[in-house]
Amino acid sequence: MNDYRGRARKRSQNLLIVEGHHEKNKLFWLIFKCFPEININMDEIWIYGTNIYQLYNDIVKEYGEKWAEENVDIDLPFVISKKQYPDGLRYKEDFTNIVLVFDYERHDTNFSEEKILEMQRCFADAADVGKLYINYPMIESYRHLCQLPDDDFAERKIPVSLQRGKEYKALVKQESILGSKVDFPHRIDDLLEKRFGVSDIEKRKKCCGKILEISSVNSMEHVIDNALQEVVAEHILPTAKYQLVDWVAKQEYVHMNLTYWEYIRGVFKQVIYHNISKANRIQYGQYQIPEHKYKGYFERLDLTEILKVQNLASKDKITGFIWVLNTCIYFIAEYNFRLVMD
Amino acid sequence: MLKKFTLKNYKNFKDEISIDFENTAGYQFSTDCITDGTISKMLIYGRNATGKTNLGKALIDICMTMFGVRRYADTGVFLNADSIDETATFSYEFRFENNELIYRYTRFYNQELRNEELRINKKTIFSCDFENNKFDFKNLKYINAETASIDRYLQSVDIDDEEELQEPKLPFLRWLISNVALNSDSILIELANYTRRMLMITAGNTMLRTSRRMNDSFYELLEDSNRLKDLEYFLNEMGIACKLILQKLPDGQRELYFEHEKLVPFYETASSGTLALVDLYRRLIPKNWDPSFIYLDEFDAFYHYEMSEKVINFFKRRYPKCQIIMTSHNTNLMTNRLMRPDCLFILSRAGALTALCNATERELREGHNLEKMYISGEFDKYE
Repeated sequence: MNDYRGRARKRSQNLLIVEGHHEKNKLFWLIFKCFPEININMDEIWIYGTNIYQLYNDIVKEYGEKWAEENVDIDLPFVISKKQYPDGLRYKEDFTNIVLVFDYERHDTNFSEEKILEMQRCFADAADVGKLYINYPMIESYRHLCQLPDDDFAERKIPVSLQRGKEYKALVKQESILGSKVDFPHRIDDLLEKRFGVSDIEKRKKCCGKILEISSVNSMEHVIDNALQEVVAEHILPTAKYQLVDWVAKQEYVHMNLTYWEYIRGVFKQVIYHNISKANRIQYGQYQIPEHKYKGYFERLDLTEILKVQNLASKDKITGFIWVLNTCIYFIAEYNFRLVMD
Repeated sequence: MLKKFTLKNYKNFKDEISIDFENTAGYQFSTDCITDGTISKMLIYGRNATGKTNLGKALIDICMTMFGVRRYADTGVFLNADSIDETATFSYEFRFENNELIYRYTRFYNQELRNEELRINKKTIFSCDFENNKFDFKNLKYINAETASIDRYLQSVDIDDEEELQEPKLPFLRWLISNVALNSDSILIELANYTRRMLMITAGNTMLRTSRRMNDSFYELLEDSNRLKDLEYFLNEMGIACKLILQKLPDGQRELYFEHEKLVPFYETASSGTLALVDLYRRLIPKNWDPSFIYLDEFDAFYHYEMSEKVINFFKRRYPKCQIIMTSHNTNLMTNRLMRPDCLFILSRAGALTALCNATERELREGHNLEKMYISGEFDKYE
């Protein structure tokens, strides 16, 4: 047959630009799992690791110093592919979502208020040029709730001096009540691999999947028993089973007759609610949001204005502080606000 | 206004397809695409051969049924070629003030009617089953048409087998409108008024080099220097800079020219875009009535992108109430600046018509770049 078509275009791709940080992939994996409406297959995401200033330089290299002023239509898939695979250029025309997630790294030697503001201003649409989400002080802030609801979140901030990654992570680990919930799938996976020697990743995935779909205490034992058959060696099967039954029983979701995903979806909604309220606090000075105006309040938030407030608050190396705020989970609310409403 | 149109088993549309003009999504921008809560400016996209032209032909089929006049030369296979159904179904739902009217009929492969039914405000006014010769005219009084001499109508459709070469069966609605003195405020008069003013215009493939006879009547109009000036002005405003002049030849014929140092014959020289635009002008503007509905197939096939936009804006201003469906491949028009996600549609290969706002789970906002989203595959499940 003649080749009439040549190389076919592949559309509907997704690009996630992160700082080469595992946590981000984990968070987005969980988001897409809990909100299947968003319709992104995690296996089909192109994850590119870089940092915001490196990316800024790559943009300058392609489009010149004045790209932001001149409102140049930046094509990130092109910029990145040109650098990474010059033989396989990709274009934003083929991408339905471009998401950039970076930490607000004030201590970074390359930190520049102007550059980060330009980036925030220009990357404002995930369905077009891309959307930049800056997390304050870093991605872990989405876990930084000590109870649900957590009214103290309104004033939660950290001194500039503490923003070294390790220290903040340790603080969140210590204070968060979400950690054990969101890490649960990975803990099961680890258990199967390290404690019960299941080396086949596909088998583990399938087994985890079954356990996380459990939505009642009654069926729990039966499902776990089933899920472990032919996955775990027979002589350790009873041990594995009781260990997992014990773990699952300690999780809240089965007692609420929800699957793990449904439960975490609810948790995400709360996290989003806290962070929208917080952003409103930062930009407009008011934390409480009237229930019926939730969407309207979200829509009037401006990530650039919030960045300006953060820049100002954190300027002083000794007295400066950073408001704890996670913006990347807004991706869900922006995609369709219906997803975050009850 | 036409509220909803439903079609089945016609040409490439094996399964039911419908256009619901009242299914709007409440956007606060490009409100001039909506008139009285009904979509009045609609733009349909779709890959080649998905049936954009067929859909237009189907929509104006009602003109053929009600007036026996073909608004569009149509050849080819009428029924879906993969279906075993013997008829194609057409259903039109109208709203005239507070009244709802549904006119529904089915046709065989040879376009003979099998059934015909009229419902007004959920009451069946009449129904005809031509295949089994069953007729129900009990409720004609609701439209003050009880005086109709039904017998005469039945005689006209009662054709013996031997007389198969007779005229095609006369639709009862057509007969009713032309044989009964209806009140001027009758809903049937409103219906006839609407359907009489339905048009289909295609620019894509045929008719660009219009026949001599058509030109003659058009030239006759252009004899009026104001009309000629108006045409020239229209072309200029849409982006074609030119001067026109009409001259009478020694043999009495008229000829249109571009005015230059030497005259340049218009039809032999004009660009495809100019010809398409003049054709559009000729079919619409000089009319002394306003169309109620226009299906503009591939309306901007030859237009520069800016001209397409100007033409749409012109339609919005000149025909604010007219229900205009345009088809196009020009994705530049897929913008919230001009249209809106509930008025932009994709016709799929499977024969489904979906508004952009229903073709993604993403909440579409005014700031979204719809064209880019369409191209990158945001709506690909509906293409």
